[in-house]
Amino acid sequence: MDCGQAQRLLDDLVNGRLSESVACQLQRHVEDCTDCRVASQRAARLQRLLGLKRYEQPSIDYFNSFLSEFHQRLEAETAPRVTLWERIVNNLVIEPVRTWRYGFTGAVGLALAVVLIWRGLNPPDVNPPEDSQQTSVPNSAHILASSTLPAPHSTPQSIAATLPMSSRMAPDESRASSAGNDVIIPVAAHTDTSAPRYVLDRIAITPASYEVASIHF
Amino acid sequence: MTTLMKFPGKFKLGASSKKPMPTSEARLAEHTIDYQHEDDESLVARVQHGEQAAFDELVRRYKERLYATVYHMTSNHEDANDLVQDAFIKAYKSIGSFKRQSSFYTWVYRIAVNRTINFLKRRRNRNHFSLDDVDGSIQTDPDFVELMSHVTPRREVGLTELQARLNEALQKLSEPHRAVVTMHDIQGMTHADIAKVMNCSEGTVRSRLFYARQQLQGLLSDYL
Repeated sequence: MDCGQAQRLLDDLVNGRLSESVACQLQRHVEDCTDCRVASQRAARLQRLLGLKRYEQPSIDYFNSFLSEFHQRLEAETAPRVTLWERIVNNLVIEPVRTWRYGFTGAVGLALAVVLIWRGLNPPDVNPPEDSQQTSVPNSAHILASSTLPAPHSTPQSIAATLPMSSRMAPDESRASSAGNDVIIPVAAHTDTSAPRYVLDRIAITPASYEVASIHF
Repeated sequence: MTTLMKFPGKFKLGASSKKPMPTSEARLAEHTIDYQHEDDESLVARVQHGEQAAFDELVRRYKERLYATVYHMTSNHEDANDLVQDAFIKAYKSIGSFKRQSSFYTWVYRIAVNRTINFLKRRRNRNHFSLDDVDGSIQTDPDFVELMSHVTPRREVGLTELQARLNEALQKLSEPHRAVVTMHDIQGMTHADIAKVMNCSEGTVRSRLFYARQQLQGLLSDYL
């Protein structure tokens, strides 16, 4: 028996797991071999040292709650797992007693939304035309002409109609002033004490003779 | 989908039944007396037929031994607690597939050791000790007295230092070597039982034990 074999069997010798003949052989080798004797002593001391770890123990009442903790964890782990979809559905499904309330509210909301969308697509006319024959949309030039300047054949009444309400004359006053050919500006139009305003009625105010000649590059 | 899940706000768990649901302790107290004298095999058969209380008895029988093994492998009290709970939960969930080719103890032990080895591989770089207290009766142990008188005459200092050194040394072993040393030298299991738990040959167990001890002798040379 060599030292390698002997040192591998030392554990079994200590624990009495060797046959009688092998144990005798090993004991003789250990008595004769100093290295194996030292190794045997160190192995025995190590086993005794490791054996002291059995004194490391948890507190006395530690295992009292072990079983209840086990049950809690087991219940948590064996409970059916709720998927994200199921969670969403669970949150949406409400007690049946109140279902009609939520349904009614939803229906009203939907109807409101439809009405608003319909109104948005078909806006109502703010100033509907009085004359049913003038249904066509007037062009911009027409609008400009009718809203700013009186027509060439305007009568004093029609000109007065273009003036603001505050500056219009009374009907009898207008009648008196329109006796001649000249248009009499009503007195009420001059009652405004604010500074006079000058409004250009033409874009080109420069005489034609002052026009710059065409530029030659 | 159950009604309970559909209307979580309306129904309360157990609210409809007049009899309150028994707590785990109450269930245990109700059944412990009946199961205490039954062997593991019949308890396993009962669990396989749906009796959870029979599994409680198995937990009661082996929790301390399993905890000790896992604790000595991790050197961490909280990790040991979690791992043992995990091992029992795993055992409960898969007890239907347990073929009874080995004892329940070996089977659950294998689950716990394998889970611990996997856990230790994951947290290899994090050695955070959370050690249990050392039982005061160690002071009268002849091995302790002899070892401490050899190393240092001051036992109080020696006890704390010894615990730290032993755990540090064990944590320096590889996970399979640590498991073998724990089961053999601390728990006192035989090579054959360790081989069954670790699903390897007895020769492998002997070899791992030999190399682990060589390493530990170098690490703990002050005490040898």
